[in-house]
Amino acid sequence: MTWYLVRRVGQAVAVVIGVMILTFILLHLEPGSTAKAVLGLKATPARVAIFDDTYGLNKPLYAQFLLYMKQLFQGNLGISYQLQQPVATLIAQRLPRDALLIGLSTLLALIVGLPTGIYQAVHHNQPVDDLTAGTWFTLYSAPDFLEAFLLIALLCVQLHIFQPNFPGGITSVGGVLADWRALVLPVFVLSINSVAGFSQYVRSTAIQALASDYIRVARAKGLPARLVLTRHVLRNSLLPVITLLGLSLPGIVAGAVIAESVFNFPGMGLLIWQSALNHDFPVMLGATLIIGIATVTGNLLADIAYGIMDPRIRHG
Amino acid sequence: MRKTRRLAAAAAILSLATLAAACGGASTKVGAGGPAVSGKPLRGGVVTVAEVGASPNFIFPYAPSTNSDGYNVNLTMGLWPFLVYAGDGAKSIVNPQESLFSSLTYSHHDSVITMVLKPWKWSDGVPITSRDFTFVYNLLKVNYANWIDYTQGLFPTDVTKVVTPNAHTVVIDLNRSYNPTFYTDDVLSEIALIPQHAWDKTSLTGKVGNYDETKAGAKAVYAFLQKQGGLMGTFDTNPLWKVVDGPWKLQTFNSNGYYAWVPNKSYSGPDKPILSKAIWTPFTTDTAEMNTLRSNTSISLGNLPLNDVHQVGALEAEGYTVSDLPTAGVAEIVPNLYNPTNGPMLRQLYIRQVLEYLIDRPQLVSKVYAGYADPGNGPVPVLYGQQWDSPQEKAGGPYPYSPAKAIALLKAHGWKVAPNGVSTCQHAGTSAGDCGAGVSAGEPLEFQLLYTSGITSFDQQNAAIQSTEAAAGVKIVLKPEPFNTIVATTAYCNAKTHPVSTCSWQLQDYGYNPYTLDPSGAGQFNTGGYGNYGGYSNAEENKLIDATEYGSSSSAFFAYENYTAEQLPYLWLPNASNLFVFKKNLAGITPWNPFSGTLNPEVWYYTKPGS
Repeated sequence: MTWYLVRRVGQAVAVVIGVMILTFILLHLEPGSTAKAVLGLKATPARVAIFDDTYGLNKPLYAQFLLYMKQLFQGNLGISYQLQQPVATLIAQRLPRDALLIGLSTLLALIVGLPTGIYQAVHHNQPVDDLTAGTWFTLYSAPDFLEAFLLIALLCVQLHIFQPNFPGGITSVGGVLADWRALVLPVFVLSINSVAGFSQYVRSTAIQALASDYIRVARAKGLPARLVLTRHVLRNSLLPVITLLGLSLPGIVAGAVIAESVFNFPGMGLLIWQSALNHDFPVMLGATLIIGIATVTGNLLADIAYGIMDPRIRHG
Repeated sequence: MRKTRRLAAAAAILSLATLAAACGGASTKVGAGGPAVSGKPLRGGVVTVAEVGASPNFIFPYAPSTNSDGYNVNLTMGLWPFLVYAGDGAKSIVNPQESLFSSLTYSHHDSVITMVLKPWKWSDGVPITSRDFTFVYNLLKVNYANWIDYTQGLFPTDVTKVVTPNAHTVVIDLNRSYNPTFYTDDVLSEIALIPQHAWDKTSLTGKVGNYDETKAGAKAVYAFLQKQGGLMGTFDTNPLWKVVDGPWKLQTFNSNGYYAWVPNKSYSGPDKPILSKAIWTPFTTDTAEMNTLRSNTSISLGNLPLNDVHQVGALEAEGYTVSDLPTAGVAEIVPNLYNPTNGPMLRQLYIRQVLEYLIDRPQLVSKVYAGYADPGNGPVPVLYGQQWDSPQEKAGGPYPYSPAKAIALLKAHGWKVAPNGVSTCQHAGTSAGDCGAGVSAGEPLEFQLLYTSGITSFDQQNAAIQSTEAAAGVKIVLKPEPFNTIVATTAYCNAKTHPVSTCSWQLQDYGYNPYTLDPSGAGQFNTGGYGNYGGYSNAEENKLIDATEYGSSSSAFFAYENYTAEQLPYLWLPNASNLFVFKKNLAGITPWNPFSGTLNPEVWYYTKPGS
């Protein structure tokens, strides 16, 4: 197991470095002048020269990359061209809030999706199974921004139950939690799509599990149905969910651009999107690094969790 | 008009318009300049202003060249207003009450300025003196290259000497004569006084000295102040920024762009704030702001995207008033006169006239902008009024919509006109009835129009232009791209630079160019001007612009304006106003000042219920 972990961590580091190199090259292949994109149409040659000199953009590409890697190993992700703040600060401001928002929505989706999937499996091919699946697939098919608008129109504009946005003065996770009413709708909207995914994966594996020999044995031994479901069926049905959770880690880091836009929740999604529009390379690279790390970490954690959840799977 | 003071267009361009609803097609303005709210002022109260994508990131009034944020002035102007206050209500004049000078005299053929400062004080009680002006001058003199608003050849490099005969008088010797209106309105209106007695230092803990009086010292002080000016985490705590001379002090600043002003109780000017606090709260998108407005929760004043103009009724039912703030600037399609393919065509004035004749500007104003736009008759918006708008512009400009005139022009120049098809040049050559130099026989009248994507009104406007241009067989191929992509991939093109790949654009519509108080063409339409990136170069134009910048003839401006309108260095377009919604009991907002470059909550107040 130890050797396996060392090997996987080594692979992860190599993947992240590869992603960084690829992203760096792709970003710099983007046509046009970065200085002009940032400074606007009125960027005079003098201002462009100062900009390029300040950020080293007048150096050869390899020199720029080496400089960036040197900064990186010193823990410096650079300065945002557009926002004029350290990239690490920008990420540190947004990441915890996104982790809270998307983490809570994932948790809610699990709380609803797992029992729903098991319930559907137990009642599979019955009307209640079809009705439940149909409901979740309908919600899954609807764009999340549409769901957001409908909920805002009803619950905020008409009934004034919730507030439609995060107040601009809130910057910390504590502030977000203190203003919990603003958190309700985005968490709910983000969880809707995930519920369908979780419940249908669990349903499929649970149906297989319910038809397997060891479940028949457990039942034959007189184990109560509740224990059969929780001890055996649920545990085995969680395996695909682990994969989904592992894959959702980079999603947490990358933010949710639609929810952030609609609910005035400035997070990683909007930061990345705006930096892409603005040729803000340091932010793009910083975000890519974090997402890359989250991706390989999510996969690694999923693999380890597989081994723990299912003793038949052995690493090494 | 050299400076991008507040990039409202850029904000609109960069805002996330992805979810915006289509324009409802209304053609009637809801309000013209905004209804006045009467009532007795209620002292105190908090106003919350919604800002979409307009977060400042720099507080020192002299930002570095690498800073691209056009919204810093929104933060700084209430704290350190400009020496010359632009706009008096809706009037395009200098506001003498709000300005820091009591007299401004030009002498020696308008090459020497004598300025007497008012006996106002900084917030710490220290008088504002001529030393504060020399502090600014000394800093900029050696650091102008790293000042975002420096314009080649103007302040401070056009100053030969500054002397201060007494504590309140400044005498500025310039290296040439200037038109006093131009210099006052466009140059001195960019300069904020800063407190020498508090800021002339090189470290936070260091003592204040006269460091600015040496070159090395001025460099060190400027570097220190610029470094401090970018530390967003300390904007509201740094003792430097506590010393102000404007009506407001900064109470709170969050790095996400949320900030709050409270009244500067020592403010010497006439408009002392009535409100107890002004909060500027950031929104990620127009959509998020609209949702909040519709919920009537927390916003006192916010921007209403034109795409949401159909929501006016609903907003009024929620207790808001709607009003439009005209935009000080000019909207345009820029023709690239040196495009390798059809630059020769665009260099022909008659072709540009054809293109302009085929733009139905009144229809665009009515259908696309719901009446909230300047008609775009020429280089000067009508909001500038009597002083600046020539009779020709007021009458609709030289090229009112006329497909018949466009067709006649083409036929007169040897084109085979194919309405709703593609017209082609029949008579190549340079004689009177020919297509003109560089235009070959059989060449189609076809252009690609590059424009900013993501804004519904832009899509509608350019689709309408594409349709009306077709009436004379002008084929317009639309190419929407993100604003920053357009900016990054297109270059200034002229006779020397046109072979480069970034000169392949043909027509370009990225938004509008903002103006300052004097809407002259300096830097815009003269040869090599910063806004002249289509390569337009005309000796007569240069002469007329110089007359507005350096001469003193009162007729020079109209001469420049009419000639420019006729020559079409840009194809003129309607320029959309900013729509604002605000609480019905919030007064003092209208008439708007389009020239000050920011909102002015010091004159706002709530009215007593029932008053």
